[in-house]
Amino acid sequence: MQHILKNDIDIIFKEAKNTPRTAVCFYFAIDKPEKFSGSYGLFAKLLLQGTKSKTAEQLAFELEAKCIDVSIKAKQDYLKVSFLFLNEDFELAMQYAKDILLNSTFDDFEKELFKVKGEIKADLDVPRILASDTFVRNLFEGHYYSNTATKTLEEIDNIKKEDMFEIHKQILNSRKVVSIVGDISDINSTSDFFAQNFDFMKTNNSKSEIIKLDELNFNEKTKIVKISKQDLNQAQVFQGWLVPNIDSEFYPKISLMNNILGASGLSSRLFVELRDKQGLAYTVRSSYETLSKSAVFSFYIATEPQNIKKSLDGFMSELEKLSKIPPSKEELEGGKENLIGKLEYFTQTNSQIASMEGYNYLMGLGLDYSERFAKTIYKITANDVSKAAELILNKKSLICALAPKENLNFN
Amino acid sequence: MSKYKKIKEVNYPYLSSPATVYEAENGHKVVIAKKESHMANISTWVKTGSINENSENNGVSHFLEHLMFKGTTNYKAGVFDRTLESKGGIINAATWKDYTYYYVTIPKRSFDLALHMHADMMIDPIIPEFEVGPQFEYGKEEPEIKRERHVVIEEIRMGEDNNWRRVYSSLNNAMYEKHPYKREVIGTREIIASIPQCEIMRYYQTFYSPSNLTTVVVGDFSDDEILAKIESEFKFKDFSNIEKCKSDEKIPEIKIKSPTVIEQSGNVTTGYMMFGFLCDSAKNLKESIALDILSTIFGEGKSSRLYNKFIESSNEPYVYQIETCHYQFKDGDNFFVEASFDPSKKDELIENIKNELTNLTKITQEEFEKAKKRAKVNFAQETETVSELADSIGYYMTVCEDLECAAQYLKILDEIDIAYLEHIAEKYLNNKACSISILCPKGV
Repeated sequence: MQHILKNDIDIIFKEAKNTPRTAVCFYFAIDKPEKFSGSYGLFAKLLLQGTKSKTAEQLAFELEAKCIDVSIKAKQDYLKVSFLFLNEDFELAMQYAKDILLNSTFDDFEKELFKVKGEIKADLDVPRILASDTFVRNLFEGHYYSNTATKTLEEIDNIKKEDMFEIHKQILNSRKVVSIVGDISDINSTSDFFAQNFDFMKTNNSKSEIIKLDELNFNEKTKIVKISKQDLNQAQVFQGWLVPNIDSEFYPKISLMNNILGASGLSSRLFVELRDKQGLAYTVRSSYETLSKSAVFSFYIATEPQNIKKSLDGFMSELEKLSKIPPSKEELEGGKENLIGKLEYFTQTNSQIASMEGYNYLMGLGLDYSERFAKTIYKITANDVSKAAELILNKKSLICALAPKENLNFN
Repeated sequence: MSKYKKIKEVNYPYLSSPATVYEAENGHKVVIAKKESHMANISTWVKTGSINENSENNGVSHFLEHLMFKGTTNYKAGVFDRTLESKGGIINAATWKDYTYYYVTIPKRSFDLALHMHADMMIDPIIPEFEVGPQFEYGKEEPEIKRERHVVIEEIRMGEDNNWRRVYSSLNNAMYEKHPYKREVIGTREIIASIPQCEIMRYYQTFYSPSNLTTVVVGDFSDDEILAKIESEFKFKDFSNIEKCKSDEKIPEIKIKSPTVIEQSGNVTTGYMMFGFLCDSAKNLKESIALDILSTIFGEGKSSRLYNKFIESSNEPYVYQIETCHYQFKDGDNFFVEASFDPSKKDELIENIKNELTNLTKITQEEFEKAKKRAKVNFAQETETVSELADSIGYYMTVCEDLECAAQYLKILDEIDIAYLEHIAEKYLNNKACSISILCPKGV
């Protein structure tokens, strides 16, 4: 990737020769908690619901007629506006980008509010989503990151159209970056184009008002949250810990530990022990998700409701085993190659690269972070992996289980 | 001299050189497509899925897919997964109505190992009794040892908790009279619990014959280099003397004989509805492409008719999500309209979707141009990564049974006009020829 700063616009760029479509991602940092849960998500949806010169219908038809794919997502720490289009449509696609980002009217506010409520209700009919929502809400209780779908349903009617204009202002004054990957050989003329036409993309060094959260907000070592729902064929079970995030020296170590334990695919320890050997589940995994002010390490299993306790014991047993006995050289090296190979797998297309590099840059990780991350991974020792497991074991954890009432009598 | 003879070169759109189809005397086909990438992909597509099952062994194709990973004479269970994943490989498999396929996507530097282990898995699975797990009668006492049978039963449970899956399964069953497509690909808990290992092995020996297999390689290689490796690794065993598994009769059904409405209730807050239609085979490329275009016009994207009518332009929207999809099959395609909605408006929604289906025989030039461009871009998108390209090639070789269909796609797309689309809409997407499946909250 190359970096160009022109007219105070941060542009990162990679040339991908002989590719038919160009990807452009506009990233905006979210530096303060939303007033009501769901505000940023609603704002993101409304950006595609009409501008001063085009109705939502016109906009949708014109973009789809030109096969300009636009996706707008609000995550906890950023807003990402992604464009993917045929190379010859570069200027046209960017005109739409400018119009959407500058001239959205938010006139469809009431209609979008209704749609969001309907979509959330349908989402929460999915047992995994309901359990995950409850899990995240409890993990981050009292913190902005606890703004989940269920909380949004409770608070969304407090959101006003004026709040959308406030968020718009906030977003335009935030830290930003434009990430471009495509068959563009002349980055100078491309950056000139942005300098002349995207004045509003000037970056600002705004400071985050989001509080750092390192530990779970309760006294006991393990808290259990149970949700009963009848007629379920499987229980949905999560167990999680708040752990160091991407800024920490532990990040690569926890990443590798997570990979060995439950994220490498068909050969992770959890997959082999709980699925292959005990037949407890079709889906079982661990994950490590990092945010700008916190991070979560978690286990997940969907299992026959009577197996909740056995699964939880299985999670802890594998974590303890890894904390006491470092992985063999073969497992360690295999875990490293797997992690790095997956990075390669998920950065094959222009949109994947633009998205990942833009995110890394916005989070302050600089250019080509993946390459540096790979080098760090290669230096990790077997003891580092055990220490990462031990660090987690010493922290408080939250368990969340969704199952029929009669299956929730575990401790 | 290679045992694999070149059958044809296919000018696959958006690739810098033709994809080449080879075939050995035993009928094993190999397709090699050149694509510059740091990744490479090998997959083998087997022409079997629920299409070859009967009421006694329903689900065996999918169960076998799981068990193919449980070891060979050379490598014990788990070695394949561990070895290739430790080289950065993404490995998996999938089973559908017409096919089962196995793939490895891996950094190019480890491709030889991937080819070796993939071939070994395809030609010599031992399906150990222990890994299958003890047989039992579902609903009675369960065995203490739980292995892959229970993993698949958990997968069935997972599907039963999926609301869309419930709606789809009932609809799929109601759309067919007798064809094996009627059955669930995943099978039933009862069959998975009780099917013996020897029956699963017999199924493998019946349907995993070389002439039923296509191996696809996508990456930056020369054909000779790959063919030599394939020839030395794919040493098939001879199962011609075994007693073959019997399949049910397969008479294509391209029209629903008894359109029905299936209603279910559940512990849900939203309504879920699917309309289903039967159409001609995916091999009828012109009709199949026309259905792709109709799907885009009718229900793909925010500018589609259904989204516009029920969500974007509606003053009092009661539909939360609405879209269409077109599934391609060897013995006849499916077309679906699906919507999640306010359950109190169920009858209104059915009537309104039926009206929109009637209007589908009038297509504007703007809609037509938009959908055609989307079809072209979608086709280009399928060549973006080695795995996407391999999936497309495997599909054309297995479902359409001719890679030439891929080369013809854009040409036929250009031949299609509005009158033809309207004719296809009238022929298949008739509101009297569909079945409907609905899931609503209890008491609604």
